[in-house]
Amino acid sequence: MDNKILSLNGIDVYYGEVQALFDISLDVYEGEIVSIIGSNGAGKTTTMRSIMGLRHPKKGTIVFNGEEIQKLPTHKVVDRGIVYVPEGRLVFPDLSVEVNLEMGAYSKSYSKAEMQQMMEEQYDLFPRLKERKNQLAGSLSGGEQQMLAIARGLMSDPKLIMFDEPSLGLAPVIVDDVFKVIVRINKEKNIPILLVEQNAYMALSISNRTYVLENGVITTSGKSSDLIESDEIRKAYLGG
Amino acid sequence: MSIFEGVNWLQLLVTAIAMGCIYSLIATEYTLIYNATGLVNFAHESFIVLGAYIFAGTFERALQFPHWLAIALTLVSMAAFGVLVASTILNPLRNLQFVTYAMFGTMMLSRIIIEICRLSWGSLPFTVKGFLRESINIGSTVLSESYIYIIVISIIVISLLQAFFKLTKAGKAMICVSQNKDAAALMGINVSASINLTVAISSIICGIIGILCAPLYNVSSNMVTSAATKGFCAGVIGGFGSYPGAIIGGILIGLIEQFGIIFIPSVWKDALSFGLMIIFLLIRPGGIIKRKKA
Repeated sequence: MDNKILSLNGIDVYYGEVQALFDISLDVYEGEIVSIIGSNGAGKTTTMRSIMGLRHPKKGTIVFNGEEIQKLPTHKVVDRGIVYVPEGRLVFPDLSVEVNLEMGAYSKSYSKAEMQQMMEEQYDLFPRLKERKNQLAGSLSGGEQQMLAIARGLMSDPKLIMFDEPSLGLAPVIVDDVFKVIVRINKEKNIPILLVEQNAYMALSISNRTYVLENGVITTSGKSSDLIESDEIRKAYLGG
Repeated sequence: MSIFEGVNWLQLLVTAIAMGCIYSLIATEYTLIYNATGLVNFAHESFIVLGAYIFAGTFERALQFPHWLAIALTLVSMAAFGVLVASTILNPLRNLQFVTYAMFGTMMLSRIIIEICRLSWGSLPFTVKGFLRESINIGSTVLSESYIYIIVISIIVISLLQAFFKLTKAGKAMICVSQNKDAAALMGINVSASINLTVAISSIICGIIGILCAPLYNVSSNMVTSAATKGFCAGVIGGFGSYPGAIIGGILIGLIEQFGIIFIPSVWKDALSFGLMIIFLLIRPGGIIKRKKA
């Protein structure tokens, strides 16, 4: 394998007195889709929030492109080129689709033309958003909001993009679309992806490698194509 | 004989709108901080008083600077004061576990500022000589110069603020911070810095209110107590957290209290706005412009 983009080295994360993550280590390499699966409360979102600096680990390091980032505030992590599309999408409901996209590029100082070009790129990926560009984000459907959240993330031309439960609360047809887009982003734009999903089947089928997180501990990891065949994983996460 | 006889409508209207503008500015000033931090800044009255004292006490009375320089320096001082308060008090307070603690924090801050004013500038009320004290006569109508300035400056301040939100990156970032702090941080916005800027702008507006109120009242530590409370009512009536609501609420209170005194004795004037606020809280607690929940 080639270049290592991101590595977590034995991080411990606490919420007050309660320890949420125990000695988590994981790596993301250039061009990969890596997924983290696990049940509710296993610590998947906490892992992502720690990478983003929304929660700082007490122990261990997070290295991004050779630089330790575990102590950086969130906006600096974004400056380094990591984008996080959070669970629940968190679009800005009272701003239009277009302004939401513009805010996605906050960390960049694009010229007007560059901004326009980045927007057109996102509209090519999500034609629906172009139709609705002047609508308030709060008035979009759940699927459209998810598209907007992804497009907004892409606006800053990230070096790594992380998705947190992108399928949450969406109709099955739309879930397929979302995963297709995620694969396209990885293939066409060559952006490595870290994906957190409860929908283990989807996550395993689109990713190269997978980590299984249980109660704040990584219990299994390996090639997704191997894990999808493993009896243990089938029993615990794939319903049979 | 009608009760309308001898009523000078023009004078009432100008007074109503001018006072309404003051209430609107007050509502705007604390809405800024409320939207950015989720905290109601109970110290906002003392910010206004501080602005008035810096202007009238230091730059006008003690240093005798020309008005324009005194105004400019007051606003610069208020901006610096805002950044100081935001970074040392409001930013840490908003991370407290309970909003109640933060509320008490701002109340204590208010006492501290008022006492500092008393200690620095003395407890005797005073006036600013030769500052917006003229009046304009139109027929039998006597319009105070300061009312005209209040209206014009309020319109400018509110338009500039809207332009700032719509057109600048920092202004848009502020709106993002008010809608969702985590999401704003994930866009790369430095949330604490954005809040510092918001509080600085709020403090500048407090300074402007303080300067505009200096000719209306004597400069003293309780010069704007009644106006600050009515400004608060204006926010509640207009719709808490909404900028258009702050303006509508402010003007409405100005109109009601001025025209109300045609019908009721003027000693009841203050009670009108509070009564109106209670009625709104009972029948339309969201205010005139209800804010969508994010």
